[in-house]
Amino acid sequence: MRTMNRTTGFLSFALAIGVLVVILMAMNWVPRAFQKDSFRRYGSIDEVRTALNIRDIYVPSYFPQHIVWPPSEILAQGKPFPAVVMEFKDAGSGEIVLVLSQSRGGPFPAGPAIDLASIKETVPFMMKGRSAVLVVGECAKNEPCSRITWKEGSYTVTALMKAAPFELTRITESMLR
Amino acid sequence: MSISTFFNSYAGMYVAQSFCHSLIAAVITERAVKAWRIDDPAVQQRFHLIAVIFPIFSFPLYQAINASRGSALFRLGALFDVNQWLNWEIWGVVPIGLLFLIMIIATSLVFLFQETIPVIKHTLESRNAEHEGTQRGPEPFVERASKALSLEAPEVLILDDDEPVIFSTTGQDPVIIISAGLREALTEDQLHAAFAHELAHIARSRRPLLITVFVLRAIMFFNPMVLVKFRRAVRDEEKICDDIAVSLTRNAKALAEALEKFYYKPEEFPEADRHELPPGSIPLEEYSHNLHLASRIKRLEHRATDTAGNGWIAFAITLLVITVLNYYVV
Repeated sequence: MRTMNRTTGFLSFALAIGVLVVILMAMNWVPRAFQKDSFRRYGSIDEVRTALNIRDIYVPSYFPQHIVWPPSEILAQGKPFPAVVMEFKDAGSGEIVLVLSQSRGGPFPAGPAIDLASIKETVPFMMKGRSAVLVVGECAKNEPCSRITWKEGSYTVTALMKAAPFELTRITESMLR
Repeated sequence: MSISTFFNSYAGMYVAQSFCHSLIAAVITERAVKAWRIDDPAVQQRFHLIAVIFPIFSFPLYQAINASRGSALFRLGALFDVNQWLNWEIWGVVPIGLLFLIMIIATSLVFLFQETIPVIKHTLESRNAEHEGTQRGPEPFVERASKALSLEAPEVLILDDDEPVIFSTTGQDPVIIISAGLREALTEDQLHAAFAHELAHIARSRRPLLITVFVLRAIMFFNPMVLVKFRRAVRDEEKICDDIAVSLTRNAKALAEALEKFYYKPEEFPEADRHELPPGSIPLEEYSHNLHLASRIKRLEHRATDTAGNGWIAFAITLLVITVLNYYVV
């Protein structure tokens, strides 16, 4: 009798959890459905420009040959502050090797694609007249990683790459006029 | 600092996520108690305290496991992203985040005025003040019951008051204070039951785990869900003490009858207050007090002899589900 009660209890509990998960998913969908400029995926940079009316999207004109254009992922929001994140894959491995983000609301952590696990050096430097900060370190599996952050107009722009700083500097310089 | 900047900061994420985590934990624990038909108040209290304690540690724990959990990409794939709601502006003007902030400020004030100040006052009074009342001679039942609970027998004072009042102080030298009115109204068995209940409170107030829970709860002073669940756990405490009292007296009926003396009755309210209420009705707080008393009396009158174990398996499953589910609530 007690075993039967326990089984019924377990089933009833599992059902309740299932219902709760569905409710949470629905609740998560509501603000995205009603707020068109909330954080979401976009198919192209032009789509971001049109949908969110963000005119200045900083894209490099130089890309090393191993990086695939267009971005594999474009995420953006208009509210509470404009922000755009672009991820680029390596042609050979298919791994994400470059993440570019720009935000008008301070630091905007893009995602787990590239994780700068350890920092070796932080160097302030001038990049085409802008003060930038270069961070050199290692990602997982001891791969070299570097990050450059600078202010461009009202945006904070960050470029994070699984590469030595030399290659990243060339990419970021090509983003500036 | 704007509202959205606050909710993107570590402190803001802690406040918002701990609220969500406690709300989800509260829903799940309520369901678990019903699904597994947990009637033992000590086990119920353990479940209710998950929603009080878990959100204190959940956010820092999850961030330690995965530092990218607050990132945009993780939020996009999450089961529920609270920032989507907090950034949502009603009619494009008032962000829901502002309403949320007002709610946590209101909760903090309730915590301050209804919990912190009364507790500090009570502690200071217990420590410093001489209790008013006439000292009763050695009470054989209190001495016997205290011995059974491994306690030193507390002093019993009689307060010169006609209202039914009994309470205990739980400091270094605990005291049971009973009004003369209640002393007169109770039979010998009912009086023993009432003393046993107070002794149970004194005994339980010395448990380090319970004291830790009471202190930890203060960290969540801003969290309305924790406020509700903590009060629920306090009510469970009354039922736990009822059970201890019955184990000492072997007389559930006497305790139920003693509890009936504490019902609020509309005719007992001052004439001025009664005018503001519909005929026969009582204020909400007193109504809630009566409901709680009624549920305790009903429990005592229909005591089940079969206890369904201590519920540790159900507790472990519930805690696991809460931990896993809340990881995806950012």
